[in-house]
Amino acid sequence: MIQTESYKLSMGPVHPSTHGVLQVWLTLDGERILRADPCMGYLHRGIEKLLEKRTYFQCLPYTDRLDYVSAMNNNLGYCSAVEKLAQIEVPKRAQYIRVIMAELNRIASHMIFIGSLAVDLGATTGMIYPFRDRERILDIFNELCGARMTYSYIRIGGVKSDLAVKVISMIDDFLAKLTDMIDEYNDLLTGNEIFQYRLKNTSILTAKQAMELGITGPMLRASGVSYDLRKDNTYCSYEDFDFSIPLGEKGDNWDRYIVRLKEMSESAKIIKQALAGLPTGEFMAKVPKVLKPPKGEVYDVTEGPRGEVGYHIVSDGSAKPYRVHIRRPSFINLQALDIMCRGYLVGDVVAAMSTIDPIMGEVDC
Amino acid sequence: MQGGLLVILTDKLFYGINYLSGNEFISQLIMVIVQIMAIFAVISLAAIIQVYMERRICGFIQDRLGPNRVGPWGLLQTVADMIKLMGKEDIIPVKAQRILWGITPMLLFIPAALIYAVFPFDDGAVFVDLNVGIFFVMAVMSQSVLMFLLGGFASENKYSFMGAMRAVAQMLSSEIPMAFAVLAVVMVSGSLKMTDIVAAQSNMWFIAVEPLAFIIFTISILMEINRTPFDLVEGESEIIAGPFTEYSGMRWALFFLAEYANLLSAAILTVTLFLGGWHGPVLPGILWFLIKVFLVIFLFMWIRWTYPRTRIDQMMALSWKVLLPLALFNIAATGIGIYIYNWM
Amino acid sequence: MQGKGLLVGLAVTLKHFFGKKETVQYPEEKIPMTEAFRGGKLLLDEKKCISCKLCAMACPNTALDLTVEIDENKKRHMKNYIHKAGRCLYCNFCVEACPVDALSWDKNYENSCYYRENLTYDAVENNRKDEKNG
Repeated sequence: MIQTESYKLSMGPVHPSTHGVLQVWLTLDGERILRADPCMGYLHRGIEKLLEKRTYFQCLPYTDRLDYVSAMNNNLGYCSAVEKLAQIEVPKRAQYIRVIMAELNRIASHMIFIGSLAVDLGATTGMIYPFRDRERILDIFNELCGARMTYSYIRIGGVKSDLAVKVISMIDDFLAKLTDMIDEYNDLLTGNEIFQYRLKNTSILTAKQAMELGITGPMLRASGVSYDLRKDNTYCSYEDFDFSIPLGEKGDNWDRYIVRLKEMSESAKIIKQALAGLPTGEFMAKVPKVLKPPKGEVYDVTEGPRGEVGYHIVSDGSAKPYRVHIRRPSFINLQALDIMCRGYLVGDVVAAMSTIDPIMGEVDC
Repeated sequence: MQGGLLVILTDKLFYGINYLSGNEFISQLIMVIVQIMAIFAVISLAAIIQVYMERRICGFIQDRLGPNRVGPWGLLQTVADMIKLMGKEDIIPVKAQRILWGITPMLLFIPAALIYAVFPFDDGAVFVDLNVGIFFVMAVMSQSVLMFLLGGFASENKYSFMGAMRAVAQMLSSEIPMAFAVLAVVMVSGSLKMTDIVAAQSNMWFIAVEPLAFIIFTISILMEINRTPFDLVEGESEIIAGPFTEYSGMRWALFFLAEYANLLSAAILTVTLFLGGWHGPVLPGILWFLIKVFLVIFLFMWIRWTYPRTRIDQMMALSWKVLLPLALFNIAATGIGIYIYNWM
Repeated sequence: MQGKGLLVGLAVTLKHFFGKKETVQYPEEKIPMTEAFRGGKLLLDEKKCISCKLCAMACPNTALDLTVEIDENKKRHMKNYIHKAGRCLYCNFCVEACPVDALSWDKNYENSCYYRENLTYDAVENNRKDEKNG
């Protein structure tokens, strides 16, 4: 008698398309997925604990290493939380510079997303082009603060250094080319029928499911929920800029791809406006050399490229935080993997994992 | 029949050997060995050239330069890689079924090399001109699926086994549209013999007569040889390397070699069936043949470095629901066409 | 129409096939590092240094190990200025903390080495060596 049974397959932690060291336990019926359990912790470095032993200033380089493809956004999240706690007023110019850098980094991060999605679907060339273009942004950051990945540029009370003329011209140059770059991705990937067939109507995550799981960022917006902290909980003078929030309809892989693709041009719009209206003045507020915020706690959220980056800081009045908890969007978004994969094929797991766009440094913290 | 450049060379060699040995049987035996050796040389040399080509084309498409350090223009890169692979430790998985696992790479090479026996490289330059040539090619080509299944099964690895299962499903669904596409060509040329098919294209290539069959054939041959967009068997972002997951070093190199031998034979088959084989003006036949073959290989590589991979169900749907009906329609249309042509 | 996107994709890659290449032929060609680049060895200007140890205080990961000695004129000197590159986050906090701008990076990005011990080095000793070699 023929008997069929399901079997378990360990995808990762060493696997070409798990974006680092994520392990997914798949329960399979042939090629069809019955269950997908993400198993995290292979990159755990205990950053939250490390931060308790450092002063508020010294914590900053560690936030770079959470989501290492969008370090600016993490810096921004941490700094605004500490500023809220210590009641530091950030100068307008610093806020604008922060917005420019955060949005540039969002573009860079979405380029990584497009590249890794393409390579997970087997289009190697589709990976190389976005990575090549991202290099332009990294060059800008390198000119700006001397690092390509771990910037530590946004500081408590402002930014590390003022925008040099050369950096501004580099940003202008990049923005001028960005339209061509996006057109190229559209020609190579978006318009490609194979790419569309792979992504459309797969791994559907409905708005209800997404909200129940606490999904944020482009993933939630792809499911059709208009929720963007840049509009809904404005911080860092985002209210000065005019931009729209791209929304998806179905919440399938295709929507998640398109939402991110459109967000890139929206970010470019914000940068253009910020550069045009860059106020003069200080780029750094007056911050005491030894920062001792008053006793209490604060939770502050900013919109990272992957979702809501939240920092919960508890202060006991000393120079070091008593406890820091970081709400990492990738970690929470990854919980949706099981729902997104059930009933689809092995090839779709890879696509679903890419469209969640987890960064392991952030997932494991 | 007047022979091409290759035939003239072979004849000269045969007379030379005959003059030296003085015995016709011995000299014919030597000639057979020489020819077999020549085919093996073609396969291994072609693999080396193709790997270099692939890496260079891939590099150029991706705004890179590709290998350019070892030897002039990096030409010796593949040789260096081969030496590295030979020097590697031979790792055998503990749970693998050793004998099956060990012989699979060697067995895979047999069908890959056997096909070359019936390819007409030039006017008259064909190793054995079987009267069921194209049938033989199809039959032998589909043998390689057995080795994929064997290798995947014997590795005792879930990824390998999944790859093996995919290989079987994929080859089954690619063979049939391909056979029907080829059937249209056979109907037009009126022969299964490879040389006759080439001879029938002396005035007009079959790509002009059977454009639909050409498209169907190209897509299904891509499935047959596991090239992107249908490289599901290997599918490195999904199932790591499919049946080759557990192989390393020289064993893996044999898989690699067979893969490129298959690529070359796919290109040769396309050229023979649709692009007029060695026919062409001015230049000698063998040169025309090589130019066409490398252009087709370039096309395959170009496709590989542009497209993403399809999913297994999409590939099956494409071949059973789209290509097969189209191929059947093409056969009907060809039949009617031939009838009208004869009636006129 | 189905299949149009496939052809457009092929056109894109063909354009790049004949296009300009981005490769930098590394050992022969090197990209100059930017003004702000942080990386390589820490250089200490001993004439400027006032041995205040603020750099070591600012370091988040205790990558700097300093020993100060006081000479006969009651002047403070750096005896050792050990930079443990293996622990360094390259955050630039030490350079910024310096009140007299005595610290700088040597902007060398080729700092891989075979042994872990080679990651640790002494900036003061390095200066002595430079003096000896001229």
